[in-house]
Amino acid sequence: MSREPESQNAFLRVSGLAKRYVRGGLWRERVVEAVRGVDFEIAAGRTLALVGESGSGKSTVARCVALLEKSDAGQIWIGDTDIASLSLSALLPWRTQVQMVFQDAVTSMNPRFTAAEAVEEPLLIMGKDEALRRETVRSSVNEVGLSVDGIERSVMQFSGGQRQRLAIARALTVRPKLLVLDEALTGLDLSTQGQIANLLLDLQAAHSLTYLLISHDPAVVGRMADVIAVMAGGRIVEMGSTAEMMTAPKHEETIRLLRSARAAQTNLAAITGASL
Amino acid sequence: MDGTGKVLVAVRGLSVAYTLANGSRIPAVDDLSLAIGSEEIVGILGESGCGKSTLANALLRLLPAGAVCEQGEILFRGRNLLRMSERELRAIRGREVTFVPQDPALSLNPVLSVGSQVAEILRAHLPLGRKQRRARVLELLGEVGFVRPEEIYDAYPHQLSGGQRQRIAIAQAVACRPALLIADEPTSKLDAPLQEEIVALLAQIRRKHGTAILVISHDPAMFAGFIDSIAVMYAGKIVEIGNTAQILRQPLHPYTQALVEMAKSAVGAPVRTHFASIEGESPNPAAFPVGCRFEPRCRERMEICVQRYPPSFVPMPARPVSCFKYGE
Repeated sequence: MSREPESQNAFLRVSGLAKRYVRGGLWRERVVEAVRGVDFEIAAGRTLALVGESGSGKSTVARCVALLEKSDAGQIWIGDTDIASLSLSALLPWRTQVQMVFQDAVTSMNPRFTAAEAVEEPLLIMGKDEALRRETVRSSVNEVGLSVDGIERSVMQFSGGQRQRLAIARALTVRPKLLVLDEALTGLDLSTQGQIANLLLDLQAAHSLTYLLISHDPAVVGRMADVIAVMAGGRIVEMGSTAEMMTAPKHEETIRLLRSARAAQTNLAAITGASL
Repeated sequence: MDGTGKVLVAVRGLSVAYTLANGSRIPAVDDLSLAIGSEEIVGILGESGCGKSTLANALLRLLPAGAVCEQGEILFRGRNLLRMSERELRAIRGREVTFVPQDPALSLNPVLSVGSQVAEILRAHLPLGRKQRRARVLELLGEVGFVRPEEIYDAYPHQLSGGQRQRIAIAQAVACRPALLIADEPTSKLDAPLQEEIVALLAQIRRKHGTAILVISHDPAMFAGFIDSIAVMYAGKIVEIGNTAQILRQPLHPYTQALVEMAKSAVGAPVRTHFASIEGESPNPAAFPVGCRFEPRCRERMEICVQRYPPSFVPMPARPVSCFKYGE
């Protein structure tokens, strides 16, 4: 893929990103090329969705961008800085700019923590003082639509949707610019999924947040993303605006992934008489 | 039940409750009645925590420790499963009534070949010789859509994709030609193209063998074009029953109306428009309200709704619905 002229307002620019894993065997090692040269950019305040079947490399891209994995090649530009080239200590300030929200995020939280402690943790790591921590936790928790009254309960006592709200509140405490949403809407009921999606849309509008959305759900992707990139075999095989990709997909993988959503929808429309 | 076939399973007034370590009682399924006709595909539609998986487990009498069927009966071909001995039950479970789990990665043994795990089911229930059994397994693997059954027979679960593992689980479930197959969110862990394939496979199994199927899902879109009738479950109770076309075209209960609205608006809306959704969350089962359990989230709530639980009204033929909009 040739490098397009850089757009002025790109918040994140990923170029030639590659990542391989060595799967250890006792006698021989197997190399898995998870990501083989991926280029994309996301404009500030916009959403790019990475879709693809499991094993396509989309989660590895997400983890590299979220600085949870070190890429083997390529650059990850935020403004004029290639954060992929930074040393671990130089990375520290960038970690607050990029935050990740996982599927069933509470499995990534300490089960002994109260909700308040879980949300507060990033601030503790950053060494913020107690008054600021308490104030930030309160405002983050309010912002995701939870009541501060209940936050001294254990994280385990919250429902799936509330846990996802806590995870978002926790990410918000450090005032990030980019949220990496790795299947953050997967495994939730339709109404909960809708509530969390609406919350993410509102937060994006309020703070000009940039989203990298990893999802296999065409309904979520079609509603939240400005641009869709389809991954297969560690590469982006097709990328375009959501409208283009939903109505005129070209690559067979795009057609395969996005068509079945239409199929279920068409069945439903046929029965209910709804127009698509 | 649309009334055309014979009743295969009749659940009557079933209540299942969990007792927690701290002594509190969680009524997961509450005075629930449901009929499944032979060769019928019934869908249970409901959100997580509504009791739909507890109901599925109760039908197989595979409830976890601490859960008890407190009341009611589950009649399978007229015999009450809840009264049977473990021995009688073993002849039914896995043979006549079978189960496809949500995540077969958890139910398959990682150190045995998948073929031998399908054969295991046959060995437990049918008097077949080794060779016959192997031939039967290969036939089953072909039936669930594997093009090269011989190669799959010797594969281990980790060598297969999520969709392939789900096919193995289905091969196990249909091995003894059951009368009823229960599938708990059989596609929720799969991506969209695979979901479609698994739904098509289940539909084909019913067509070919007349297997009745109980499918559990939270997504009305999955039920369209596949399921005969739907029972909508909310907070441990069935709030509405009807055939699929009727329920999707003209849902009666405000909860069903909201669910169908959400599914219909899921695809095709412009980017960055809000999703349809139901405000709030299901009530805490440890403290269900006295009245209608959906009332706190309902847009059409009335005074009577908080006073007592609505009985079942029948505003249209064969359309029972528990909502005061339709009576009193």
